Amino acid sequence: MSQRMFKAVLLLLVIAAIATAVAATASATSRGAGAGPIKIGISLSASGDFSDPGKAAKRGYLLWQSVVNSHGGLLGRQVQLKIVDDASSPNQVVTNYQNLITRDHVDLVFGPFSTLLTAPAARIANRYGYAFVEPSGGGPAVFQEKLPNVFFAQPAPVINCGDPFTKFLLSLPKSQRPKTAAYPSLDDPFSSPIADRMRSQFQAAGVKTVYKTIYPPETTDLTPIVEKVASNHPDMVVAGTQSEDAYAQVKAMVQLKFSPKFLFLSNGASSPTEFPDKVGKKNTTGIFSCGDWFPNSNAPGNNQFIAAYLKKYGGNAYGIDSGSAEAYAVGQIIQAVAKKTGSIDNKTIIKTLHSGTWPTVEGNLSWDRYGSPKGSDLLVEWIGGRLVPVYPPSVALHKPVVPKPGWGR
Amino acid sequence: MHLFVQACILGLLTGGVYALMASGLTLAFGIMRVINVAQGALIVLGAFLSYTLFTRFQIDPFVGVFVIAPAMFVLGVCLQLAFLRVLREGEREELSLLVTWAIALGIEGVLSYVYDTTYRSTNTGYANRSWDVGGFLFPEVRVFAFALSIGIIALLYVVLARTRFGRSVRATVQNPVSARLLGVDAARVSAIGFGLSAATAAAAGAVFGIVFSFNPGSHYDLISRLLTIIVLGGLGSLGGAVLAALFMGTAEAVFQVEISPTWSPLTFFVLLIAILLVRPQGLFGVAARGSA
Amino acid sequence: MSRIRLAGATRAAIVIGALALFPFLVGQQWVQIGVLTLMYAGLATAWNLVGGYAGYVSLGHVAFFGVGAYAVAVAFTRWFSIGGGYRPFYVLPLIGIGVALVSVPIGWIAFRTRAATFAIVTLTLLFVVQQLAFNLHSLTQGSLGILLPQPSFPNSEYEQPFYYAMLGLLVLGLLVSRWVATSKLGLTLFAIRDDEDRARGLGERVTLAKLMAFALSTGLAGMIGAVWAYHLGQIYPQFAVDPLITIGMVLMVYLGGKGSLWGPVLGALILVPAQQELAYDYGSSELYLIAYAGVFLAVMLVMPRGILPSLTEQWRRRSARSRPTRPSQRAEEPATS
Repeated sequence: MSQRMFKAVLLLLVIAAIATAVAATASATSRGAGAGPIKIGISLSASGDFSDPGKAAKRGYLLWQSVVNSHGGLLGRQVQLKIVDDASSPNQVVTNYQNLITRDHVDLVFGPFSTLLTAPAARIANRYGYAFVEPSGGGPAVFQEKLPNVFFAQPAPVINCGDPFTKFLLSLPKSQRPKTAAYPSLDDPFSSPIADRMRSQFQAAGVKTVYKTIYPPETTDLTPIVEKVASNHPDMVVAGTQSEDAYAQVKAMVQLKFSPKFLFLSNGASSPTEFPDKVGKKNTTGIFSCGDWFPNSNAPGNNQFIAAYLKKYGGNAYGIDSGSAEAYAVGQIIQAVAKKTGSIDNKTIIKTLHSGTWPTVEGNLSWDRYGSPKGSDLLVEWIGGRLVPVYPPSVALHKPVVPKPGWGR
Repeated sequence: MHLFVQACILGLLTGGVYALMASGLTLAFGIMRVINVAQGALIVLGAFLSYTLFTRFQIDPFVGVFVIAPAMFVLGVCLQLAFLRVLREGEREELSLLVTWAIALGIEGVLSYVYDTTYRSTNTGYANRSWDVGGFLFPEVRVFAFALSIGIIALLYVVLARTRFGRSVRATVQNPVSARLLGVDAARVSAIGFGLSAATAAAAGAVFGIVFSFNPGSHYDLISRLLTIIVLGGLGSLGGAVLAALFMGTAEAVFQVEISPTWSPLTFFVLLIAILLVRPQGLFGVAARGSA
Repeated sequence: MSRIRLAGATRAAIVIGALALFPFLVGQQWVQIGVLTLMYAGLATAWNLVGGYAGYVSLGHVAFFGVGAYAVAVAFTRWFSIGGGYRPFYVLPLIGIGVALVSVPIGWIAFRTRAATFAIVTLTLLFVVQQLAFNLHSLTQGSLGILLPQPSFPNSEYEQPFYYAMLGLLVLGLLVSRWVATSKLGLTLFAIRDDEDRARGLGERVTLAKLMAFALSTGLAGMIGAVWAYHLGQIYPQFAVDPLITIGMVLMVYLGGKGSLWGPVLGALILVPAQQELAYDYGSSELYLIAYAGVFLAVMLVMPRGILPSLTEQWRRRSARSRPTRPSQRAEEPATS
């Protein structure tokens, strides 16, 4: 056989291999059973950037599954979850949902972690007519897609997280309000939009912006920036942050001995155990943050959720990541639809969820046409070394304490 | 003006840490003509080890260096023997880039598995304190980090200049063929050199872990800066790497404060391109001998 | 010579034909994996022009992929509508030419360096472009990403247009590679790969050759990036300009055979479906990166020349041993396989 023939054979073998693989797996697709267990497909990030929150979401989903199955399942059928890994990659998440729907023929799908992955996945679900109730895709991109099948399982779109703080501050008498403010924020789809929104609200109310800046995501050293913030002597600092930069900002403020009268960090400071660990417990007093869920919230079913979580996973309530609660809420919503309509058909779910209010551990949820929730998040404050909801008054466990004391008190 | 000087201070202190990180990298290239893309990952590994020693056994990171540096020296030697020695001379430079990138991914994978992707930092008690000198703040931690970095670099320099091993290294850097003809055992020099480079990564990692937050994925950002620094300083030149690191650290901090934090990461790269246009071999590099 | 062309063309026709028939035989989820596979095959082939033919290992190619992605995203969210959904495909040639032109001055700076420095400079370029994508808010919307309009292709054939677009780009890449390999440009590039100084000394237009290869390579990468962006529907800086894409395409070239014509394609055909399947079937695997690194190391250390050249070499040795070499056989061995 000449060399050319050899190459031809090699190439043909490759093609044959592909074809065989295709044929083999094509014939292996199973048809979904009508009366057997309910299969729910989920793509989560077990590796890559989103793996930590991905794991929290997984715990939430699995917890819901065990709780619902122990009470007879959904509409009398046991719930099976098929969870696959997307390695925090948008390419993979799209493949995953396509496979879950067309290969595994799942009955329902639940959302992945993060807006970045939810947005492309929601489109796939929509193309196949599947409802997409999702725990963590709350950024503007998801709602801009204008899809009718999306339902974000949190009380408010992420960029409205700071609204309770703004409302609270502007409810104070003018003499107690800050006169000037600085807005150092992280350049990411959630952090800076939150701060931007708050800035326009404050500016409209007469609070002067003395400095604003957006720093890139990988900035590990925020000392020069905090230095710049401090040099403008603002009464209030409103920072759109994630975790790492929130810790870095606070540490830098402490090091530079700069303590504003009002300090709001959209994320990072909302973490019950990490934040005091990273910045020092004594430094947390008076710092505000916002979030969708906290262990001491009095949302419907929260106590049962925490009890079940601790029974299954151990630890204490303050170690529970809000991602688990969000995922749990997704399950609760589907459960409620099943109870109300007696069906879990995707069309029914989509139609039913667009009206009414639905009680979950995230609060009572309701949505607009494109899946954007119509409620508001919680304002929390660090008081006495604990993270406490302080606003809106209906969910507050303590009155807000202002102004912020100096560091170390 | 105050802001500018404060930024310069912070930048110089940070630059010292970068200098330590870059020194191992440029050394590896000089001796073996190997671009060790895994240096960033080794530094992060050092940071994690130092973090574990601190949180589990309450060993201060500056003390822990004496434990992890020798351990990583051994790791470095093993890596060199296992993966780099087998590369043939001609393709070593090119393939080393890819092989070490694979090693970096492997280290990242192992770290993700063991530690998961939460950000950590070694929070020593003195982590938030700073000294006030003439109205300017010198964060304690950074001063210690700077001191350790300079100390180790000085030690490296002494080893290179005074010891027999150091002379072998310098000979190999200047002219590998002649060095071998003169009896220098290239294999041994390479292995020990790589081990040393890994040991400096350990020290750098301990320091890095105190000053910055890190997770297994942090090595990308690190390595891109370090590569820029050593190219700027001239591949293979220790002095060049130190100067380039100090320069870059200061430039970035000043830029961040005076102009804009969003664009400051680009300072590194813009400076690199600018220098390369004029001097393709970097500030102190050896002029191209068929390759830069 | 014409006998080789005919045989080669026949082989090519068979493979391309099989790939073209593929969507008709399988379900949408496979076509979607096919889109990704062909994307990497095209990227690997494009990279091969610079990395394989000229021997310059570029680690920053994904920067141009990203530029193409953003070009189509910005164009179709700001200035044009997608019409029936096919317009983005029509502008691909423009994007290719645009990216190629932009790459020339960049290439000119980068090619002033060699080997390791070149690799580092191109890697730097990758981070610069990523940073620009983050920072140029008014153009790229920075970290908020850009949402592309979704075409209204029928659901049962949604993936097909993207699949054929990628296939078309791959074929284009292969044609260009073949043309370059058998032309004067190719000879110059191979001479550069072997010994650049000597080539320059012999009067070869070295810089021009390198820039041409670079422009062709980046233009292709840019077009592929544009199709990818349109397919995914939403792009962010860290995913459009992602170091893992670069390393993926480089790995595939090395696996399949650097410098060969079909090597990169083979590498992609093996790695992409395998990787997608492993990630899907083995559920929550945290060992993904470790496995990836392992494969990478294995390829680099055991078969650094890649499958095709290694197998071809073995075959050549075996047939040389069993038969006396005939003059016609020697003449039939082209410079690239």
